[in-house]
Amino acid sequence: MRRGAGRPTKWLKTVIGCIVVGLYLIPVYWMVVTSLKPEGDIFAVPPQVVPFHPQWTSYFTVLQDPAIRRAFLNSVIISLGTTAFTLCFATPAAYALARLKLRIAGLTILILLVSQMLPTINLAVPLFVIFSRLSLVNTYTALILANTVFALPLAITILRPLFLHLPRELEDAAKVDGCTQAGAFWRVILPLVRPGLLTVGTVAFVLTWGELVFGLTLTTNENMQPITVALSNLVGLYGTRWNDMMAVSTATALPIIVIFVALQKYIVSGLSAGAVKE
Amino acid sequence: MPISSLEQQGAPVATRRSQRTGTRKQRGNGFLLPALLFIAFMTVYPLAYNIWLAVHGTDIGNLLRGSSPFVGFDNFRTLADDQAFRHALLISLVFTAGALFLQFTLGFALALFFSQPFPGNRTLRALLLLGWLLPIVVSANVWRWLLDGSYGLFNAFLLATGLIDRPAFWLTDQHAALTAVILANAWVGVPFNMVLLLAGLQGISPSLYEAAMIDGAGMWERFRFITLPQVRAVALTVLLLSFVYTFKVFDLIFVLTQGGPVDATTTLPVYTYQLTFTSFAFSKGAAAATVLLLISLSLSGLYVWTIRREEAS
Repeated sequence: MRRGAGRPTKWLKTVIGCIVVGLYLIPVYWMVVTSLKPEGDIFAVPPQVVPFHPQWTSYFTVLQDPAIRRAFLNSVIISLGTTAFTLCFATPAAYALARLKLRIAGLTILILLVSQMLPTINLAVPLFVIFSRLSLVNTYTALILANTVFALPLAITILRPLFLHLPRELEDAAKVDGCTQAGAFWRVILPLVRPGLLTVGTVAFVLTWGELVFGLTLTTNENMQPITVALSNLVGLYGTRWNDMMAVSTATALPIIVIFVALQKYIVSGLSAGAVKE
Repeated sequence: MPISSLEQQGAPVATRRSQRTGTRKQRGNGFLLPALLFIAFMTVYPLAYNIWLAVHGTDIGNLLRGSSPFVGFDNFRTLADDQAFRHALLISLVFTAGALFLQFTLGFALALFFSQPFPGNRTLRALLLLGWLLPIVVSANVWRWLLDGSYGLFNAFLLATGLIDRPAFWLTDQHAALTAVILANAWVGVPFNMVLLLAGLQGISPSLYEAAMIDGAGMWERFRFITLPQVRAVALTVLLLSFVYTFKVFDLIFVLTQGGPVDATTTLPVYTYQLTFTSFAFSKGAAAATVLLLISLSLSGLYVWTIRREEAS
């Protein structure tokens, strides 16, 4: 939209924008602020918008709980595992779908697009049965494989256009210089799509870190639960210990916030890649 | 070195074969094969197995042995007669429609606002996306606290402004819970709608607006006769996509209300989960899951068809 707006109205829009975004982020602010309050202050009427006695006590309390520490560790392993797995499978596949005229390419792309939209519960039940038969319930393997189901199609969807945009002459030139096809892919093509790989990596990590349904259904042992499941179990356990509850929530959100601040442009382009156009 | 690295990626056989015979196609299949096998075993097979479960009489006793009797459409008939299933379907539709309405309207308003240039536009827009990226379990937990009947911030605000005169127990009151869940879902969904709609708005050629301004069109007329018709196709795809993603929402409701109070927020995904993992009615659960799958697939199909048609034109 073009409008003949002068400087003052421009800044007015900035002010409005700040108010809108500020209102939107109240829940995030409230989460952090509550986690810093002593128990008595959470129930103050009217609510303390700025904490009177900020303290880290809740964080010490919850992080002393070995079950919560274990859940964080599980989430790190599952998320990193899924990220690695996704990159290994998605990169060559996306390259093949971009470069080679395969008869099954059209169908594959269609399946990839649709499988991103499947309800998780539709996969969780049969995967639970399959993994039970293979004695894989309560293993990282099961959770990594299950999470890859959603990360992989998205990853291929993000990467394929990047390969499409690379000129074919690059590989030809590499081959003239004595590279094999695999060598050309590894030494010439991959470095060129490094930002795309970073996008895929972050997106896979963010998706897996927040995943609940697979964690809930594919683990029965508390030791194997990701932090999302542990957090949802605290609902009954903590009752009205909202400060402790918000401390765990903030700690769970923290890796995502850090990634968001550091790699924001990579994630957003990635997560919306599947949406507008394939 | 490159070859061994590729081997770790699971494409060794075809890579070597292609060096011998050298046809493009085999090479491509070798690159694609690991991903295809993964999808076949981890997505297609489970979905098919789900349908198999739905037409068999599987219970906790014979689940792992896999020797359950074929029962045809019996499970679907039981489901159709089940009041709880029909209720879940209705709740799902109300939840999706309500959330979609809020997400889309607010997302569109924000997209219009952010399509104008002003200082700090990018940064502010990026900050909005945080609500979308946070783990749903975290957002749901925060909303549980915000919507708390006795000490929640939301009630404090409503009471202070006089919008309500008595605290509302959003999540435990049977008449308020669905509204509360819709509200929380809209908070998560607004940025997603905004991003996609903004992309649509930015795709409109500025020359259209310039021409309209020369013709003396006002702000409203430009919006009505340029923005709306130009953004219509994108809006349709955003609505379809939002529908698919909202209809399958499980984690948010699971944390906020567990489907309660009673069954006030039991949507189809929550109902399916309860049948399977709480009542262990595997086959009935699989039948419910199949219905959920069919609804999701038909809308994803419609979405794919829409974007394909758009790309073709």
